[in-house]
Amino acid sequence: MNIRCATPDDLMNMQHCNLLCLPENYQMKYYFYHGLSWPQLSYVAEDHSGKIVGYVLAKMEEDPEDSVPHGHITSLAVKRSHRRLGLAQKLMDQASRAMVENFNAQYVSLHVRKSNRAALHLYTENLKFSISEIEPKYYADGEDAYAMRRDLTEFREKYGLKADLDQLAIESAPAQDLVKPKIQD
Amino acid sequence: MPSKNPLPPKENAFFKRILKCYEQKHYKSGLKFAKQILSNPKYAEHGETMAMKGLTLNCLGRKEEAYDFVRRGLRNDLTSHVCWHVYGLLQRSDRKYDEAIKCYRNALKWDKDNLQILRDLSLLQIQMRDLEGYRETRYQLLALRPGQRASWIGYAMAYHLLKDYDMCLKILEEFRKTQTPKPVYDYEHSELLLYQNMVMQEAGMNIEAMEHLNTFDKQIVDRLYVQETMAQLYNQLNQSDKAAKIFRDLINRNPENWAYYRGYERALHLEESPEERMQMYKSIMEEFPHSTMPKRLPLDFTTDDVFRELIDEYLKKSLRKGVPPSFVSIKSVYKDLWKVKTIEDLVLSYVENLKQTGKFDSKGDVEPATALLWAYYFLAQHYDYLNNMEKAFEYIDLGIEHTPLLIELYVLKAKIYKHAGDMDEAVRLMDEAQSLDTADRYINCKCAKYMLRANLIQEAADMCSKFTREGISAVENLNEMQCMWFQTECAFAYKRLGKWGDALKKCHEIDRHFTEIIEDQFDFHTYCMRKMTLRSYVGLLRLEDSLRGHPFYSRIAHLAIEIYLHLHDHPLTDTDHENDVNSENLSPSELKKLKRKQRKAQKKAEIEREKLKAEQEKRDQNKNKAADGELDGPKEEELIPDKLARADDPLEHAIHFLKPLQMLIPQCIETHVKAYKIYSRKGKLLLMLQSIKRGVLANRSDPRFHICLIHFLQYVKDQGELSEPAKTVINLEMKNIYQEKTALQLNEEFLASNSDSLEHRAAGARMMYKLDKSRQEEAMSLATSLDSNLKGVTIKNCIEVLEALCRGDLGKCEQEALEYQTRCHKIFPHATAFIIPAQASTNCSGTDSPTEQILVNGSALKNES
Repeated sequence: MNIRCATPDDLMNMQHCNLLCLPENYQMKYYFYHGLSWPQLSYVAEDHSGKIVGYVLAKMEEDPEDSVPHGHITSLAVKRSHRRLGLAQKLMDQASRAMVENFNAQYVSLHVRKSNRAALHLYTENLKFSISEIEPKYYADGEDAYAMRRDLTEFREKYGLKADLDQLAIESAPAQDLVKPKIQD
Repeated sequence: MPSKNPLPPKENAFFKRILKCYEQKHYKSGLKFAKQILSNPKYAEHGETMAMKGLTLNCLGRKEEAYDFVRRGLRNDLTSHVCWHVYGLLQRSDRKYDEAIKCYRNALKWDKDNLQILRDLSLLQIQMRDLEGYRETRYQLLALRPGQRASWIGYAMAYHLLKDYDMCLKILEEFRKTQTPKPVYDYEHSELLLYQNMVMQEAGMNIEAMEHLNTFDKQIVDRLYVQETMAQLYNQLNQSDKAAKIFRDLINRNPENWAYYRGYERALHLEESPEERMQMYKSIMEEFPHSTMPKRLPLDFTTDDVFRELIDEYLKKSLRKGVPPSFVSIKSVYKDLWKVKTIEDLVLSYVENLKQTGKFDSKGDVEPATALLWAYYFLAQHYDYLNNMEKAFEYIDLGIEHTPLLIELYVLKAKIYKHAGDMDEAVRLMDEAQSLDTADRYINCKCAKYMLRANLIQEAADMCSKFTREGISAVENLNEMQCMWFQTECAFAYKRLGKWGDALKKCHEIDRHFTEIIEDQFDFHTYCMRKMTLRSYVGLLRLEDSLRGHPFYSRIAHLAIEIYLHLHDHPLTDTDHENDVNSENLSPSELKKLKRKQRKAQKKAEIEREKLKAEQEKRDQNKNKAADGELDGPKEEELIPDKLARADDPLEHAIHFLKPLQMLIPQCIETHVKAYKIYSRKGKLLLMLQSIKRGVLANRSDPRFHICLIHFLQYVKDQGELSEPAKTVINLEMKNIYQEKTALQLNEEFLASNSDSLEHRAAGARMMYKLDKSRQEEAMSLATSLDSNLKGVTIKNCIEVLEALCRGDLGKCEQEALEYQTRCHKIFPHATAFIIPAQASTNCSGTDSPTEQILVNGSALKNES
């Protein structure tokens, strides 16, 4: 399977893959928002005919509470028909490196349903994440989420800039403040 | 000239507060201030206040009043830019962009330098792709606000989109010179530089682009883009050594990227020397033992013993580890028959050896017990792919016997049954797979999809509901989430059931998703300028321009056109119940059962509808409460199946779905076949000609198009003497296309040059019979041959032939149809379409779809028999 950075052309096929694989779904605009805010961070895995079989949809946290720039995985999926190829890990590694290179991310976070043991296993055993806290009633249906993190120091040492960057935070405007027509008198 | 009716200070202060309330979304308060002004008899008809009151009402969802106030306000103060601007905003909120643009232009007449109006105008211009207009507006904005970043970027981008690269680059460079980037991680500056670089490349300025990347290397944070671009550029500039080095770095970075290997091969000039090529992959394999790409790619270009050795290793490793996608990963190797045989021999030998010694071959260690299972699984897929159904069933059953509870095996068995033409059994098995892991949405979706293929629509929706939001029907939630695969499959299922209205509803829902996704770009026009993600923004604009070229659209567009053509040919009467379409072929007891089922379904549907309506109302109320004036667009007309099926002008609706196909997928022959069918029904001679001409360019020898070609030739002949100017055009074009040949000649040539293809023979046979009824026997034997040398002997194609026979496309032939069905049954023993029921009459009803009739048998192509 071919792994590459996602382009705007991929977003619709990522949405399709998401709808097939995961219970958390989003409208196209949300994919656009990711692809147009952080074009470097999302990756796809495609088969020989170009069909998307897995993807990671990623972003930077817009206003990090801890003021530490960090990435966030909005959604990660690999079709059941393409499991055991290690695609999830490869997608995550590429996205994480891009977070470090482009945005100086210190760690990457994600949420997972408390009941989703398979995903929990994947994140802890294969993808080097650990649980940072429990967010009660995170999901619309009332289920709790584990907030998980993976430290990116390893990536930063290998791929980050060598400058002293600690005080740097990421500036990014929130997507919600969209174009509101104004009247001038 | 701001307003012909200025307010005194006190009222003016109120007016300012209305504006503020609008911006801060405090609409209720806004209305209070408006009342303060309007209740003063002196200003009761104050235009700008009335307009603002209208705009505020619009945000509260009170559309009619909104239009009333805005229009009255404007009438009272036609020279106020505020009134015009407000009218424009109102129209914009209803997505009447052309109207809105006119309003903004009027507003600018009275206040030509108004920044806000210019900005709003530029947004609409880019949304509507009025690029010339956009450039003008952006020029004015730059002149007014030269200190703003967006002014420069927007103006430059206008030139880029107009393909005036020189001008675009000049502006960008002037702007770049004014910028001082932050010392590190200046993402926005980095994006600006990369946009500049993208324009250079599009302008074909490869050398400049390369220098540009080198000069600004330190300021660019997107390292991947720099490397990818440099490597490509070096290759294009024939600096192979440099290219090779970077491609090697890229492979280190991501050894799973196909394009990097291609670039690397090219840079090293390896295409001609397979041994060195293999050597290269070997060295990368050693460095990245866990990467699959360097193991996978050589399977495509190696041959003989080298291939054998590689595939042997690949297969053993996958079977040992138990990798379910090991077959799908090498499917493209199956183009080479020798390789297919090699793979088959190897895996068969593994199976024998594993059974006897537990090893793959005489060498090596004892393998895990599951290796045999995965070998069975592989072989089942292998034989399924080669259409050897009996072997496929044999091996999948061995697999299930070996490990009875593995989901993948049931999924595969279901798939084999689907390919064998037995959808009911496929559904049963997929449901079993699904029941083994109800927490996996992928299996759940597969099961729902299979159910839809078997026309079990309600069952499919119930299946999906396990993963959709509670408190809302699955069907509605999936629509909200733009879940197009589900809606597409529903549409096809409804069509097979002859429920034209329901099928059309699904087609329109998908069409609306596309409209919505095109609408989505609106907010990004400003957003991306701020974020500086300009490359992706241009990518978005280009994507949106060709959005309906996506297969999700073309599939349902073709379907919708077919249905509208059918409804044109067979309009529903007032007493028609759509559901009865297929009932004439049922026995009385079956009919009774069906009726009972339908009544039940109807009742259920009614209850469901009531429930949904109540939910919708509740939601609407909530929406109104939360109404924050976010411009959601106009409320869309409800799609009512019965109304859709009884549309006044089905052909116009068909054209609505056709237009994007013509614009975006002209290389697809089906586009022009559909266009021809529509315009021949409308009797539009020149548009028929246009479809024929385009079809000739796309694929003249397509069997469906061949029928159009013959039909058009006959049609023109039947028209007799044409009048000018059509006559000259038609005569000239006919000469080009047909070279003075007769329909008969054309058909004989077509048959002669495609004698090995089932589809072509069927089309040619139909035309043969149509042109000369005395050749029925000959046509029949052409169409019904199932010779093993023929290409295209598939279940789908055979069903189409059978349907054509049942329809009478080849004249009366009940006996022949029955006999054909029997022969098909022998070739495809599992396919339900060819099973002849006990009472032994042709089972045309069991076959696919009544719409097929319209495909070939519309009014224009009607058979005399």
